[in-house]
Amino acid sequence: MSSWLQTAVERAADVSDGLALKRQASLELLCDAKWPTRKTEAWKYVPINVWERAELSGATNDTVSAPVIDGLDSLDVVFVNGQLQSVAAESIEGLTLISLSDAGAQAADLFGTIKPDRHLFGLVNDVLATEGVVIDVAAGAEIEKPIRIVNLLGEGAEAHTRVLVRLGAGAKATVIEHYSGNSLSRNTGFAEYQVGEKAQLEHYRFALQTGEAMSIGGCHVELAEHSELNSTLVGFGSALSRIDVDVTHAGSHAFAKMNAIYLLDGKELFDLHSTIEHAVPNGTTEENVRGIVADNSRAVFNGRIHIHRDAQKTLAELNNRNLLLSDRAEINTKPELEIYADDVRCAHGATVAEIDQKALYYMQSRGVSRAQAQVMLNFGFINELVDQMPNEALAEWLRPQLRERFASMEVK
Amino acid sequence: MLSIKNLHASVEDKQILKGLDLEIKPGEVHAIMGPNGAGKSTMGYVLSGREGYSVEEGSVTLDGTDLLELEAEERARAGLFLAFQYPVEIPGVSNLEFLKAAVDAQREARGEEAVSSKDFLKMAREACKQVHLPAEFLKRGVNEGFSGGEKKRNEIMQMLLLQPKLCILDESDSGLDIDALQVVAEGVNSQRSPDRSFVVVTHYQRLLDYIKPDYVHVLSEGKIVKSGDASLAQELEDQGYAWLKEQRAADAEQSA
Repeated sequence: MSSWLQTAVERAADVSDGLALKRQASLELLCDAKWPTRKTEAWKYVPINVWERAELSGATNDTVSAPVIDGLDSLDVVFVNGQLQSVAAESIEGLTLISLSDAGAQAADLFGTIKPDRHLFGLVNDVLATEGVVIDVAAGAEIEKPIRIVNLLGEGAEAHTRVLVRLGAGAKATVIEHYSGNSLSRNTGFAEYQVGEKAQLEHYRFALQTGEAMSIGGCHVELAEHSELNSTLVGFGSALSRIDVDVTHAGSHAFAKMNAIYLLDGKELFDLHSTIEHAVPNGTTEENVRGIVADNSRAVFNGRIHIHRDAQKTLAELNNRNLLLSDRAEINTKPELEIYADDVRCAHGATVAEIDQKALYYMQSRGVSRAQAQVMLNFGFINELVDQMPNEALAEWLRPQLRERFASMEVK
Repeated sequence: MLSIKNLHASVEDKQILKGLDLEIKPGEVHAIMGPNGAGKSTMGYVLSGREGYSVEEGSVTLDGTDLLELEAEERARAGLFLAFQYPVEIPGVSNLEFLKAAVDAQREARGEEAVSSKDFLKMAREACKQVHLPAEFLKRGVNEGFSGGEKKRNEIMQMLLLQPKLCILDESDSGLDIDALQVVAEGVNSQRSPDRSFVVVTHYQRLLDYIKPDYVHVLSEGKIVKSGDASLAQELEDQGYAWLKEQRAADAEQSA
């Protein structure tokens, strides 16, 4: 066992709350767990030792205001360095928005029910995340205001937070997970979503940690019959940035649309593992993942779609397209389809391309500088997915940040 | 305006232009015809600064500026425009965004004031109308999913917005039906002025019925082998290039 994990296990002994039983079960699994090495397939490309080695000074608990998103009227829950700072107080019919520590039985109902146990850092989060939020939407309730969970990570912080969401039958809600930070810190952020029958979840995860901010997290979703998920994930890489996404079609006729974008520069790393389980018939999954990888950075995408024997009439598409801006940048992509049903329609593909020189020349021939043409081409490649975000205010907020990031990414 | 002297250029070590000379004065329209592989498209690429084309000898100046010293975007800002034979599709970058960036860059380089987004949209819509493209095309990705004719008209639309000094039209008539051909020709004719010049590269005399050239040149094996007025295009159309070869052979015999 790694020394960091050993310390985590020791610290877990001090945690005592209404979730003790669940935490204990995870702790036992954690004690038997193996720390990943270069030979561990799921962690093959991640320099996990930087996580272990980092010596954190501990963060000061400053009050920091959450970044404002123009035009977005959201219900905010703000964590600073893993400590809950505020929860929107507005009372909305059909919505329970409450901190994990105050949630009591609701938390116990939802904690650890959807997240698979195979995620090592999910177990770490199980035993250490005393801070978090519970979002419980009553059957039939349509919550118009998006709920935004902001996690701000400062220098020296180690933060473990948990998001637990339940949408009752026919309910509708938008949840935004917004992570930000760029100095040396460690963070695990795991979220579980139970989407009820005919419910509709609009989901965003902005994993915008950069620089030295290390982050390992997950989004785990279970879809009941006729429910819908529309998810957009945006990742900037950092010294170590890893997200595991699991979506399980537990009820038939569910629909999952998942778009993901990653933009990496410098020596950044971003690793996205997604697993879609089609356990029942008539489910649909559309997953589109696009990345731009510059300089000395490394992207990892592992996308698995598993179609069980009973999952007839499944429609599943998985596509990963990458743009490589430098010959030192690296992309490791592995789309996997595992099909045990015989009447399904599935497609998957992955491409890695360099910037289109013909398009660059064409734009230059109209007077656009080479540098600006590159930014426009990169932006265009990603913007196709940004355009699909249902929330226009979020798209408007994101675009200039992407442009700024593209402007610093050079083609070499 | 444009002065090409003894231009030798190659691509991938293959010599294409072998001593091209061409003088164009302001306001003139020159047609360049010639068999496949003569170097017509190469001339456009070399002049506009495409990578991979190297110039071994000769000079090209536009209003006295040495074009060959400039990057592709600087040549455009100096007033050169190439209407592509095969315009490039750029998904994700809208036609409007692209054109605004191009016009902004050119105006900035010339020290002119930027156009507001509102005024630009108006200009762009007007340009679309002139080449019979619905305004929706401004929102679409650059040339994305456009038909051959739409792409050619989109090139002319760009020319209308950029207001270049010298326009090279590289087979802007290929793949066009007669209606689209007229639209392209009208777009070009509307831009003819005493201080703007055109080089019209084409295989067919048909386009020249609509865009009347002042001079017609025949480009063969990398250089101009014959020049004349508009009637030369008709002769070529009637008799093909073989006639030209025979005549050259006869000329060579005589001088020998």
